[in-house]
Amino acid sequence: MDIFDVFLLEAVLNGLLLGGILALLALGLNLVFGVIDVVWICYAEMIMIGMYAVYYLHNVYHWPLWLAFASAIAIVALGGAALHHLVIRPVLAAEPINQLLVTGGVLFFLQAAATLVFGVEFRNLGIRLPQLQFGEMYLSMARLIAFGVALAAMIAMSVFLKRSYLGTAIRAISQDRQIMPLMGVNPNRIFLVTSALGGALAGVAACLLVLQYDIHPAIGLSFGPITFLICVLGGLGNMMGGFIAAFIFAQFISVGGFFLHVEWGYVLAFLFFIAVMFWKPQGILGGK
Amino acid sequence: MIKQGLRIRTLVAALAAAGLSTAAIGQAKDVTIGVIFDYSGPFAAGGSQAAGIGTKIAIEMINERGGVEGRKIKATYADAQSKTEVAINEMTRLLDQDKVDLIMGVYSSAQCVPMAQKADSSKKFMWANVCVASAVFKDKKLQYVFRPQVHSDQFGEASCTFLNENAKTKLKKDPKDLKVAIIYEDGPYGTGVAAGNDEQCKKYGMQVVMKEGYSATAPDLSSLVTKLRRARADVILHTGYNPDITLFWRQSREQGLKWAALIGHGAGYGQFDKLKEAFGKDAEHIFNVDPVAAQLLDAKSLAPGLGALTQEMVKRYKAETKAEQVPPHTSMGFNQTWIFLTDVLPRAIKKYGGTDPEALRKSALETDIPIGGTIQGYGVKFFPPGHAMSGQNERSSPVVMQYIGDETKIAWPTKLRTIDPVLPWPKSNSYSNQ
Repeated sequence: MDIFDVFLLEAVLNGLLLGGILALLALGLNLVFGVIDVVWICYAEMIMIGMYAVYYLHNVYHWPLWLAFASAIAIVALGGAALHHLVIRPVLAAEPINQLLVTGGVLFFLQAAATLVFGVEFRNLGIRLPQLQFGEMYLSMARLIAFGVALAAMIAMSVFLKRSYLGTAIRAISQDRQIMPLMGVNPNRIFLVTSALGGALAGVAACLLVLQYDIHPAIGLSFGPITFLICVLGGLGNMMGGFIAAFIFAQFISVGGFFLHVEWGYVLAFLFFIAVMFWKPQGILGGK
Repeated sequence: MIKQGLRIRTLVAALAAAGLSTAAIGQAKDVTIGVIFDYSGPFAAGGSQAAGIGTKIAIEMINERGGVEGRKIKATYADAQSKTEVAINEMTRLLDQDKVDLIMGVYSSAQCVPMAQKADSSKKFMWANVCVASAVFKDKKLQYVFRPQVHSDQFGEASCTFLNENAKTKLKKDPKDLKVAIIYEDGPYGTGVAAGNDEQCKKYGMQVVMKEGYSATAPDLSSLVTKLRRARADVILHTGYNPDITLFWRQSREQGLKWAALIGHGAGYGQFDKLKEAFGKDAEHIFNVDPVAAQLLDAKSLAPGLGALTQEMVKRYKAETKAEQVPPHTSMGFNQTWIFLTDVLPRAIKKYGGTDPEALRKSALETDIPIGGTIQGYGVKFFPPGHAMSGQNERSSPVVMQYIGDETKIAWPTKLRTIDPVLPWPKSNSYSNQ
């Protein structure tokens, strides 16, 4: 294998690892939409709150990292439940555009609140994970962990939804919101649990992103739009679709950016998105 | 967290108080200035807030001295939120509703380019403090927009000239054997600096092995790093803001990218304390091209009184922010404002009878401050109408600084330097290719 191929292989593997991060981001958003039928436009800002939680608990209050991670996941899970209870529930029967605008309002609120409370400075944990070197090829340890966690989260979520009573109820509600209450399922409770789960997944994403990115109030700008596109590409509400779409998107970014300019990787990814929307507007695995 | 919250609230309160205090003493003949910086969003911590505070300090000090020709300066501070459309809307609001005499400030070149065009076409006066893109002026034939600040072509020239002068003695390579990679955020600022880098490095015969832009909000730069490793550049010339710089550095380390030297060009690279917080000792030895932070200059090389002025600026900045490092952006905000308030404005009022755009324009065109006449060392004279860069200061100049220990030293130009540059970076630095 010549030197060029090693670099190409590195780009492919880096794309795979980036796909893991994007898949994890899409997982929570898809879960919430699949069950409650509301898009959390503010999802990336929930992740931002989780990142700040890790930073303050670990770097300022000197909690052990694992405890800071666990607490951050719990905080964002509570945030997800609060978001549903205070913001989503009152507009559940409203037009989708109103629901979208409401969560959009939460996005701006969280950004502005974070600026006021945490300041505009960039913060980071200062943690350096070791390099992974294979001959001429290097991979990111943080991303490898994220990839593993994304896979584990996907499997765990799948098992939970299929094997547990609560998971079955969640799936049932997602299939028919009107009929299930007649069979004794309390939709409000299911929505609340789903929102907390979506928040917890945002919290997990926060724990992984905080190892790789600076924390600042506008961090959501880097991930919010791309996460939403991936969910739409995979089929809004379809977790497996989002998972696959994340890896496709990441390969366009990584390998496209390797052969052309970095910016072209994103252009190609968006062109692919547009093409799929013409071909299959409901997304790769979306229902009709 | 509480302390940080207090700091932000204190800043907001201070800005509001500044506006209120000047408003309170305001009379019909107050000079009204709309000051636009990014006080929120990613640009805020990249130097915009520091520049905004520098600007405010200059205005406060002038008012404490009785104002300009008996007129107080009434500043209205607007937050562009790191968004171009917000910056333009704020400028329109300040000019059309608040009827301010002029617009001042602006950190981001992406905001500066359209704002300058809009202000000039409306025949409103704009004084640019920080944005550097040459594209703001080049071939635009602007008449009402002026900028004492350096421009991006000069950034590009400075880093390549510095390399050319040190290639043989330090890097043990002839300039024509030196491999240089240019990477940049793809807005007007990064594009402008990169164009200057490309032109000047090629002029010196260096091998530009890669030149590539990227979006400052890109969530992944791993393919860029992979390509840089393949290109095997000796020196990286990087122009970026803050989140992208730290992402690039992190991914470079993870992917084993090393270099003999990295030269940054302002913005995120001007925030040494932030870089140090993120990368520890590896942040040392970074070179940064920027207008010099005034406190680094030998006051004896400047006009009398400017050393004391710098000390006062540093004292007030530290008191307000509790920061230990005073970034170059504070000097940029303070210096350009001071130049306007002590040179352009008094002449406009005395000689041209007021503060309307025409009076300010005529006065600015007569500005003639020799080298050493400002706290940042450079002089001020604007290219006249008809020149390709009309409105840009022809006497501005950046320096190349290097971070050593916890201090910032001047590495170039040779006549100003306060350190023999550490080049190539030593083995102790994780990013060194030695």
